[in-house]
Amino acid sequence: MDSSTLIRFTLNGQPASARIKSYFTVVDLLQSLHLYGARESCGQGLCGCCTVLLDGVAVSGCLTLAQLVGGRSLTTVESLDQSGILSPVQQAFIDEGAFQCGFCTPGFVLMVHQLLERNADPTDDEIRDHLAGNLCRCAAYPEIIRATKSAAARMRAAATA
Amino acid sequence: MRDFELVRPSSLAEAIALLDTEDGGVRAFSGGTGLMLMMKTGVFTPTSLVRLDGIEPEHAAIGIDDDGSLRIGALATLSTVEHSPIVQKVAPLIPEAMKRLANVRVRNAARIGGNLAHGDPHMDLPPVLAALHASVRAVGPDGERTIAVEDLFAGYYETVLGRGELLTQVIVPSQAGWASVYHKCTTRSADDWPALGVAVSLRVVDGVIADSRLMVSAATEKLTRLVTAEAQLKGAETKAETFARAADAAVAEAETIDDARGSAEYKSSLLHVYVRRALRDALSRGALQ
Amino acid sequence: MTLVKPMPAGQVGRSVPRLEARQKVTGRTDYTHNLTIPGMLHVKVFRSTTAHGRIVSIDTTAAGALPGVHSVITGEDIRKVVPEPYYGPAFHDQPVLALDKVRHVGEPVAVVLAEDPYVAAEAVQLIVAEYEDLEPVFDEVEAMTSKAIVHDALKPAGTFADLKHVAAHRNTNIALDYHLRRGDTSAAFAAADHVYEHEFRSQQVMHTPLEPMVSLAEPGDGIMTIHTASQSPSFVRTEIARLFGWPENRVRVKVPHLGGGFGAKLYIKLEALVACLALMVRRPVKLSLTMEEQFYTITKHATTFRIKSAVTSNGVVTARHCEVFWNGGAYADIGPRVTQKSGFTAPGPYDIENVSIDSYALYTNRPPAGALRGFGIPQLVWAYESHTDLIARDLGIDPLELRRRNILKDGRPHATGTLMQDAAIELVLECIAERMQWSAPFDRGTGTVLRGRGIAIGFKASISPTTSVAIVNIAADGSTNLYMSTVDMGQGSDTAMAQIVAETLGIETETIRVVRPDTDVTPYDMATLGSRSTFHMGNAVKMAATHAKEQLAEMAASLGLTPGTNYQTSDLFKKKFGMQAGNVIGVGTFIPSYKSPDLATGLSENVTPFWMIGGTGVEVEVDTETGHVRILRMVNAADLGRPLNPKIVETQLSGAAVMQLGFTLTEKMEMDGGQVTNASLADYKIPGLHDVPLVMENHIVQANQHSGPYGAKGVGESATFGVSPAIANAIHDAVGVRLTELPLTPEAVFRALHAASKD
Repeated sequence: MDSSTLIRFTLNGQPASARIKSYFTVVDLLQSLHLYGARESCGQGLCGCCTVLLDGVAVSGCLTLAQLVGGRSLTTVESLDQSGILSPVQQAFIDEGAFQCGFCTPGFVLMVHQLLERNADPTDDEIRDHLAGNLCRCAAYPEIIRATKSAAARMRAAATA
Repeated sequence: MRDFELVRPSSLAEAIALLDTEDGGVRAFSGGTGLMLMMKTGVFTPTSLVRLDGIEPEHAAIGIDDDGSLRIGALATLSTVEHSPIVQKVAPLIPEAMKRLANVRVRNAARIGGNLAHGDPHMDLPPVLAALHASVRAVGPDGERTIAVEDLFAGYYETVLGRGELLTQVIVPSQAGWASVYHKCTTRSADDWPALGVAVSLRVVDGVIADSRLMVSAATEKLTRLVTAEAQLKGAETKAETFARAADAAVAEAETIDDARGSAEYKSSLLHVYVRRALRDALSRGALQ
Repeated sequence: MTLVKPMPAGQVGRSVPRLEARQKVTGRTDYTHNLTIPGMLHVKVFRSTTAHGRIVSIDTTAAGALPGVHSVITGEDIRKVVPEPYYGPAFHDQPVLALDKVRHVGEPVAVVLAEDPYVAAEAVQLIVAEYEDLEPVFDEVEAMTSKAIVHDALKPAGTFADLKHVAAHRNTNIALDYHLRRGDTSAAFAAADHVYEHEFRSQQVMHTPLEPMVSLAEPGDGIMTIHTASQSPSFVRTEIARLFGWPENRVRVKVPHLGGGFGAKLYIKLEALVACLALMVRRPVKLSLTMEEQFYTITKHATTFRIKSAVTSNGVVTARHCEVFWNGGAYADIGPRVTQKSGFTAPGPYDIENVSIDSYALYTNRPPAGALRGFGIPQLVWAYESHTDLIARDLGIDPLELRRRNILKDGRPHATGTLMQDAAIELVLECIAERMQWSAPFDRGTGTVLRGRGIAIGFKASISPTTSVAIVNIAADGSTNLYMSTVDMGQGSDTAMAQIVAETLGIETETIRVVRPDTDVTPYDMATLGSRSTFHMGNAVKMAATHAKEQLAEMAASLGLTPGTNYQTSDLFKKKFGMQAGNVIGVGTFIPSYKSPDLATGLSENVTPFWMIGGTGVEVEVDTETGHVRILRMVNAADLGRPLNPKIVETQLSGAAVMQLGFTLTEKMEMDGGQVTNASLADYKIPGLHDVPLVMENHIVQANQHSGPYGAKGVGESATFGVSPAIANAIHDAVGVRLTELPLTPEAVFRALHAASKD
């Protein structure tokens, strides 16, 4: 019994295809493609470990059916350093020590990217509101706020340079 | 999980026809955030999911009518509503409440129609919209009807929507002259679902409350309009004693329930505090022009 | 935060970014979670719905018939392959799959194996088990005397030297009792100006590592390889070898980075099950728990602590009696060790002449409890520091002053008789007092929002005696690998240990590669737990690096090179071997000295190789109408000797404090008939960004652990100690009510306020 179907989509800017089952989530899809940056933890869209961008918008991979990706653009954390250079957000996370075990980190990094696209200079409160749906059990929260502000400053500086 | 089919109708009529079935495994699928949770926990086993994104453009638009009322297509994502300048202008309470509604990813995926049709009593939008006197348009096999948001909910995770009936629009009348506030109270972590949600709208003329709308959610089995509390407010002066009387009435009429977020007794006490504070804050916020 | 001068080589004391930082921000860390192996089967577990019952039947027919199912396996099937399929670090009491009885809701009873995990999950729903219900016991105090007996006979493992005396008792739920008697408490109580007695309770909570527990077993030709998210690869190897009756070298345990551990992934958890299954089906087998399943796997002990003190009118504590009941759940895990190791610190970091302690590890029909960031210490500090505050308030003595009058100073004997050494208790207390501006006027708020503040300090002994072994391998080009079985679960051990090697060899930390734990390659380490690694493994690593350095020096001497002349390490190899060839291998083995507590008195003159000290001060705001508590400011301080990496240390302190904040304010496993009714992050609320105190400071006091590597000792748990009582003390200070049970929910505060207003 092979009930799988083929979907075609754009993955991190490149054309991609995969055979999926009707009930696969985006996390299952990515695992089948050996991309592990989005990972399931709480399984309820509450922790943010499975964050991906669908048509440029952050969603929970564990709550998104893989079938819905067909014909659309899926972006994962692995897209950010395709040139071999870390994104300003990734570099800021390292410089501020904004993680410990790192399991939640790709989710936070992608969420911060989305925040900074909309808001180049977020306040602490705006950062907290935006990231309130991402959990870090190591609780590197103060460092994550610092990293977000530092990344914002770097990106503003780069934009005016 | 078993295999199921995902169908994508291209018109509303087609979607309604697909959903007008006795098969309990057939459900409408918009943002999918609520339904996916039910599927993952085995609460719902689908045979067929009816995707609504094929009929999206005409049912996701946001606009203003000539009379100043706001029309939000039921398929608009919560994020679209949150960041819409039109919504901000007509009903700023909606984007304000959105900031702490679920999380950014849920708001990016969930649609306002699906959010209301889910019937979860812990949602923030039902009390907000009901306080703003909003209504929804529903289309089903038997035609189209308008339902006030305060009348949409029949019970715990239950709405009055019939088989094959879909929400198409949320209509929020002009808020000119009204002052509104929504306060939610969480009793565990800050990002928890509320133990209590209180939304109030006040229309004050010359220091006297001409009209009011008071809604409670989360602490009760379903969204509840606090009509006796509203009666206490009508024609009364805007002072602390009035608000306390309204709070007493609210506690007397709201049937709070026990759950992991607190006992019924505690929630009634919270309700008293939050009704007073919401009325005070609405008054100090002042009416929209 | 305190500035630290780096050591001469500039490696220790430097805030080196984590060596694996780049992998972590790019999503490329190699967690076991990500691992797939060709031909692998997924396991899903069928779990007990009964808290205590005899297994009457298990019907797996329908599950086995579902298309796509490879096999369905029960405990009886396992018993055919492994005759005594019971495991555990302190007791061999936990069956690989339930046998004869189930002892808690959620206990694994059967498993389904399938290539598609969704198929396995669906098949699990088709298994039907029938139980004959037995009377359950859930409360730790009731378990002392209940008729319900969780285990018919106790089965001590004898793995640990200090648990050797655990005897095989019958008809009891007491897995271990520890008693300490020092001085004459009866006489002191009889002569006391004041006697205070209180009872405090703490709740059952879960670690919730975001990488849920996961293990994968891969059978080979006469060997078994286990890839696992474990904090103790060496222990897993020993235990699997014991279960199989194999020599250790036929079991290989590989551990990549962990997505959090906090004690959840210690000793042996899923490894026994996957190893048995792989042995039976001869295919790789992977079990990945869901977040929900973790709540049924391992938790933190709920406790009841009765504490009684004799106090003079001027606030000197002359005697203390501690009675602690630890709710260990259905399987002992490491609970007995917690009972003893933490038990002897129950009187607190105070100099008390007469002390008695009775500490009991109890079996109940709850999910098992083990170690969680503090090994029982936070539960004890919760009680003794709340108690300290209550004494101070009653006597009208400032709580800080009362602590000063009783504090345990260096050189004075601890309750066990061990002399305090390198234990900066006073410094921690004074650091918090200074940062809180304790003696300055304090704004107490007005109207319905009142403010208060509280402090609390605690201490912990290191577990002992335990062994760590490290290997430093210098290649012919001078580049260096460190081989050790310490597991980096986020605490930064790879980086800190590399700094020790770098400091010793005089090279850059960033050039060192740390080899991930692999028992075929990396040497023995007892486990990554209880903040032991920096001290134990750190010493072993330093010894290994020193050993390598000595060999390089010998090599140089044998080649006629004089020390201090200009040559590279690579020159030595080239000169000696005629080309780029050879290795220098330094080995270090460390085990501290120790004397086991006397069985009758609980006393020992050498009960721990080092002490960890931590404390917290908070300012809170209480909404008197709703009971909501907001933490306005939190000051954490700790004695961790010299910090190897100040930035990682600070993250450890703040992370530990915020985790404990969750255990203080929001987290609690809600139970109904033994079932956890909130086993998900939707209903079990861990702290998020909005829950972090608005102002948080973390301080490292100036200290030195003379026996530690470059003066360092462990830090992972220290900032958890004081959080809970500091907050309860601050609430009392703000609104005059005392909470004695965790968590301190708004409703609990509200009810206490309500009750107080009626009095």
